[in-house]
Amino acid sequence: MTIKVFHAELGTAVATGLLGLAGVIGASELGYGWEESGPQAGYFPFYVGLILIGASLWNLVSAFVHHREAVAHAASGGDTEEPFLDRERAGRLGVFIAALLAFVIVTLTMGIYVGSILYITWSAWRQGGYRLPLAFGVGLAFAVALYVIFEAIFKIPLLKGPIEPLLGIY
Amino acid sequence: MTKTKTGLLAATALMLAAPAFADFAPTRPVEFIVASGAGGGTDNFARTIQAVLTRDEIVERPIVVLNKGGGSGAEAFLYARQNEGDPHKLVFGTNNVYLLPHVAKLAYTVEDLQPVAALALDEFLVWVKADSPYQNVMDLVNAAKEAPGTIPFGGSQSKDTDETLVALIEQTTGADFKYVPFNGGGEVGVQLAGGHVAANVNNPNENAGQWQAGAIRPLCVFAPQRMAESEPVSGDMGWHDIPTCKEQGLEIESYQMPRTVWLPAGTEPEVLAYYQAAMQKVAESQDWKDYLAKTSQSASFLTGNELAEFIKTSEANAVKVFEAEGWTAQ
Amino acid sequence: MGNFDLLMHGFGIAITPMHLMLMVGGVMMGLIVGVLPGLGAPNGVSLLIPLTFALDPTSAIILLSSMYWGALFGGSTTSILFNIPGEPSSVATTFDGYPLARSGQSTRALTLAFMSAGFGALLGVIVITLLAGWASNFALKFGAPEYFAVYFLAFAAFIGMGSAAPMKTLVSLAAGLLLASVGMDSVTGSIRLTFGFEDLLGGISFLVVVIGLFGIGELLSTVQEGLRFRGVASKIDLRDVFKTIAELPRYWATYIRSGLIGIWMGITPGGPTAASFMSYGIARSSSRKGVPFGTGRPEGIVAPETADHSAGSCAMLPMLALGVPSSATAAVMMGGLMIWGLTPGPMLFATQPDFVWGLIASMYVSNLIGVILVLATVPMFAALLRIPFTIIGPMIVAICFVGAYTVSNATFDLWLVLLFGLVGYLFSRLDYPLAPLVLAMVLGHKAENAFHQSMVLSDGSLGIFFANPLVSSIMIVGIALLVLPKLMQHGSRLWRRAPVE
Repeated sequence: MTIKVFHAELGTAVATGLLGLAGVIGASELGYGWEESGPQAGYFPFYVGLILIGASLWNLVSAFVHHREAVAHAASGGDTEEPFLDRERAGRLGVFIAALLAFVIVTLTMGIYVGSILYITWSAWRQGGYRLPLAFGVGLAFAVALYVIFEAIFKIPLLKGPIEPLLGIY
Repeated sequence: MTKTKTGLLAATALMLAAPAFADFAPTRPVEFIVASGAGGGTDNFARTIQAVLTRDEIVERPIVVLNKGGGSGAEAFLYARQNEGDPHKLVFGTNNVYLLPHVAKLAYTVEDLQPVAALALDEFLVWVKADSPYQNVMDLVNAAKEAPGTIPFGGSQSKDTDETLVALIEQTTGADFKYVPFNGGGEVGVQLAGGHVAANVNNPNENAGQWQAGAIRPLCVFAPQRMAESEPVSGDMGWHDIPTCKEQGLEIESYQMPRTVWLPAGTEPEVLAYYQAAMQKVAESQDWKDYLAKTSQSASFLTGNELAEFIKTSEANAVKVFEAEGWTAQ
Repeated sequence: MGNFDLLMHGFGIAITPMHLMLMVGGVMMGLIVGVLPGLGAPNGVSLLIPLTFALDPTSAIILLSSMYWGALFGGSTTSILFNIPGEPSSVATTFDGYPLARSGQSTRALTLAFMSAGFGALLGVIVITLLAGWASNFALKFGAPEYFAVYFLAFAAFIGMGSAAPMKTLVSLAAGLLLASVGMDSVTGSIRLTFGFEDLLGGISFLVVVIGLFGIGELLSTVQEGLRFRGVASKIDLRDVFKTIAELPRYWATYIRSGLIGIWMGITPGGPTAASFMSYGIARSSSRKGVPFGTGRPEGIVAPETADHSAGSCAMLPMLALGVPSSATAAVMMGGLMIWGLTPGPMLFATQPDFVWGLIASMYVSNLIGVILVLATVPMFAALLRIPFTIIGPMIVAICFVGAYTVSNATFDLWLVLLFGLVGYLFSRLDYPLAPLVLAMVLGHKAENAFHQSMVLSDGSLGIFFANPLVSSIMIVGIALLVLPKLMQHGSRLWRRAPVE
């Protein structure tokens, strides 16, 4: 599973175009004309949205043009297009993003302390090859440091889950 | 279903709001949710209370101030709704708590919060540039009648207290101003001092510096009686020397903004009583009186039925203006 | 003359053991706050305000402003070593600071940054000293059209100089503007583009976006190339420091230009972030020879840092003299002033000379302390980088998410960080420039408000942007910055066929 730059360009252009479309739709609900007291609330986002759609279309077309040139170039014996992501890189990235996603989900349900302890422990243990107790110790030390800096010194409450109140931490 | 239930609970809480000694006390840190960004008027209000409560050990748990000013404060009120029944969260706002749902489609209603107390009233004045031709508020109104829609009147935000007051002046007198919304009172004060707008309706605190410097001057105050005696601010004029708008012939009896404290709906009556008592102590402290004098706000401690009555009147008056201007969100 | 006497009087107030201690403490706390992404200067200062009730106002403002300077210094440290801007105003420093540090010259990069920062701050304070009386009159001339013109100038300066594909720059800019308009629009009082999501009501914070784009995005690029950390280890080598200091006079033109930009943006409400971007953009466009910008060019560090700090210190001037804070941190400090019972405004200079001049004098001293402290503590921060990636990587991830959460205590922001991390990775791989997006998010809403107000004032006539000499000249400079660089590129291509390095 190799992703070509061409595909990434297409995907990005379509995504930015959709963002522009969302802006245009949202703005037209508010009204994008002029009223007695100046431009309506949707005026600015509406035109920005149109510009975004236009620029995205341009990028879409230019991605096709580049792709055709590159294909022609390759057919005439030149270098083939550089891939956006090869299998190996995609694998590494996939694992990291999956871990990130898991971290966010755990953080949202169990709080940021549990989330970061588990995440750091997992990473040091499975990826860094450290022994589990050491990895866990690092994670725990990090969480304690977070607590001291944010909650104790600066009095900023961080996201907590169901476990902290049991330990008397609110 | 739950809404009527919380409404009922709030109503019972109000009835039980006798200053009986509370047997509730916070067991964990208390969060002060401020419906404005850091540094705003509401923020100063909440932090002053925090300082008094902490220093005098009225609340024995730590107090954490959180700013949730997004959506003109709606963020804070939505947060209160999400934390229904939580006795460790107090919300600090103005009249925006009960006025916002009328002008914007929001996922909370005033029943999602229960009022604890109002601790101060911030006054509104009509200000003009020092060298402006208008000597009293009717000069300004008449000028706007002669040239409708040309006199720029600055204010902070749209469909908020300032624009409501300007609309009220227009509806009362038939004048027509060109309302220009800015981001905050300080900004409007500078725009007035620079002559980019002809008038504004800032609170005393927002314009005091410019007045002191002689860049702008007040015409009148929207209060039933003149403001409290004070040291002279500009020349030999102090706050008490400013006439009321009614004295000058503008038929608006009063327009004031309460500084209010709220709990999420659905807490026990003892919780409400506890915080009412705590706010009472704040209102009686010397620090609080200093804060009021410094910011030129009027002392006014309202709670229980008095507060409910005040909110009802204030809300009804504002809604009348909103309806006439066509601002009400359906 | 009068100002000089007052300044000497101010030094008498500022230099006491107690105040020096507050400065050191403030700068140290600022450094920590600045280094941690997401825990920014505005946040840090507002957390300190309740602690200042026990102090007299002069001591309090010295503590708060020292923290601000510390945060500005700290922000540049992580920009250079980690490619993670600790403060939004140090985003532009990453463009050249990080590449230079990666090429093994981290001491040089850091010294350049700190010395430029110190120089910028000094320039800013000198300007404050000289202009204290005069500036308030000038700033009063700024109405809505003038504000819009200044924002327009900031955008134009950056877009005109862009080296990326113009349509990609435009996509980035427009996306930023759209994101900035989400949430309650205070000027029209309507809720925009939330599509019914309560979480979007408060808007999308540019801090959260920056943390995602630059923090997580950069980590993703690191991971793709294997689990090594691309941050740069650094020991401060004193010899390198002096060598770098000796090379500073070479960049005199950049210093003066960036200093002026910073002063301008600090006094007008452009703020340090816009100043650093603008200064970087202009430095890039006006350089002709040498290594290209973005690959570790010294001027690419000098320009944003000088402008950042001169704007940061100049931002104190309109805050004190007018009550118009031109940066988020200045706004918080102004709130503090009011709590202490002082009314910011032109009269403050007349009625509270001890406070004002004590503060101005302290700015000289605490910035000096800042430069020394930051040089001394960099090894401490750099030591973090000897920790293997499998440990420090997840920690940075966690700090990014914690930082994003503390912006407004919203769990929704955690998803935004993840999303913008992916966007940041994709954009940087496909050569979409990120800076216009950030710039648009910071200034977009203000520019729109100023535009709206101007249109209300003029009843919809664009002529208001050319209605007086002040606003017309700002607009003309803006248009020139937008158009001229492209014209000059074409012109010079025709002029000399010789290839440019």
